[in-house]
Amino acid sequence: MSEDIFRQDLFSTDDEGRVRLIAGYCKESDNWTFPRYLADPVSFSDDVEERFLSPTGILHSFTVVRRSMPEFKVPYVLALVDFPEGVRVMAQVETEDPDSLEFGEEMAITVGVIKKSPDGTDISSYKFIPLRECS
Amino acid sequence: MRDVYIIGVGNTACGRFPDKAAHILAREAAWAAVQDSGIHARKIEIAFCGHVYQGMGVGQRALKDIGLVGQPTINVEGACGSGTLSLWEAWRTIAYGQYDIALALGVENLSRILSGGPLPLEEDDLEVSIGMGMPGLYAIRASKYMSEYGVTLEQLAEVVVKSRYHASLNPLAQYRKPTTVEEVLNAPVIADPLTRNMCCPVGDAAAAAVLCSEEHVGDLAKKMPVKILGCVAQSGKYSSPTGLTCDPSENVWRTSQMAYEMAGLGPEDMDVAEIHDAFSIAEMMVVESLGFCEKGEGATLIDEKSTWVGGDKVAVNPSGGLLSRGHPVGATGLLQTAEIVRQLREEVEPERQVKDAKVGIIETMGGAQPAMDGITCVVSILGK
Repeated sequence: MSEDIFRQDLFSTDDEGRVRLIAGYCKESDNWTFPRYLADPVSFSDDVEERFLSPTGILHSFTVVRRSMPEFKVPYVLALVDFPEGVRVMAQVETEDPDSLEFGEEMAITVGVIKKSPDGTDISSYKFIPLRECS
Repeated sequence: MRDVYIIGVGNTACGRFPDKAAHILAREAAWAAVQDSGIHARKIEIAFCGHVYQGMGVGQRALKDIGLVGQPTINVEGACGSGTLSLWEAWRTIAYGQYDIALALGVENLSRILSGGPLPLEEDDLEVSIGMGMPGLYAIRASKYMSEYGVTLEQLAEVVVKSRYHASLNPLAQYRKPTTVEEVLNAPVIADPLTRNMCCPVGDAAAAAVLCSEEHVGDLAKKMPVKILGCVAQSGKYSSPTGLTCDPSENVWRTSQMAYEMAGLGPEDMDVAEIHDAFSIAEMMVVESLGFCEKGEGATLIDEKSTWVGGDKVAVNPSGGLLSRGHPVGATGLLQTAEIVRQLREEVEPERQVKDAKVGIIETMGGAQPAMDGITCVVSILGK
């Protein structure tokens, strides 16, 4: 049911079964971007390859969104997470308890529902999840 | 490069005008600016019209109704910076000698496309399609800023109290009822920690300015001309994730430093400022980026009332700013421009007139493009 997954090109599962984000890496500048760009914004080289980002990053900041566009069920947590490669990524957070989130805590990647299509179908994509909540 | 002067400004009131199409609002503002300048409309050689959502040829449709046809009219889009991008275009075409007399116009009617809620963004942008709206993005910034600098919810609310107070003295503002910290904090939360009253309203308006070259200012200016001392537009840069990624502060800093250099002035020389306080957190961050205080001290300026009209530092947003005067996207930059021009001419209501104002600064920040520090930032410095 590929129509239920949003931007499947941006994440995949590694050999150890962990969900990983797929970034762009430029050897010339040793720079990473998420997602991959056509040309690297540091070197302007188009010799950019796709690589997994580290499996976890650090929670930079977040909010609980309580009013949003119609396709998003509120409330939901929206966060920025810093990866060791020097990339900051925005995504929703899957968590049992938004109040327990803390700046600086380690976040992994999971796949979960982010919104609904106009016909009511759940649409899933990459999300963050506190590492401590990973089974 | 030639000196450029603003010789006329005009704007409609800010509010909800669902019965007035954008080109109707725009023609009123354009006509008011031409009338204010005292020149014959036919003298205008080129026009620019900033807008975001108003469709095809809104500048041409507006200007035909005041007889301004035939000249080049260029519609300009730079997200929430569209109005000042229009000013920048008018400034540069004169500064670099292509034309002598130009009209900068900005307009938006949001009521016709939106009953309330967040501004519609580009659905094809990755972050927008996973749930980012402008309130959410600013809320993430606010959360981090509060934790880093020990800023309280009450201080975030105090920005709105100042804004509403200034707007209560401005007959053209959208929200003119003074408020309290309690009222701001008791409003529904849109995205933690931002309540509805910490977010700018949905509204409509148009504003315009007539600009001319130094060669013509002596002959044309009927009122005190205001000189454009600096005018800089910058797109967002790819921003370092180790710094302030997704944070327009870097862009405001970079653009304002260039504008200060062009003007040969520094932040300490500014008497009055109109800045892009789309959310209350933005005012705290922008006063720092403009160099009015050190990083993390934006809240202190509010506490000490230094940035209120009559305060001991630069008066920030005497119009009420985006939070209370209103943020009709494409019109905003020229509403700010009209306010600074009138402040320098000492034409505004006495209670909100900044005393002895000689130099004013305008900062407009357009859009949010994650991994870039905003879409467009325009900073202008005006002097008499």
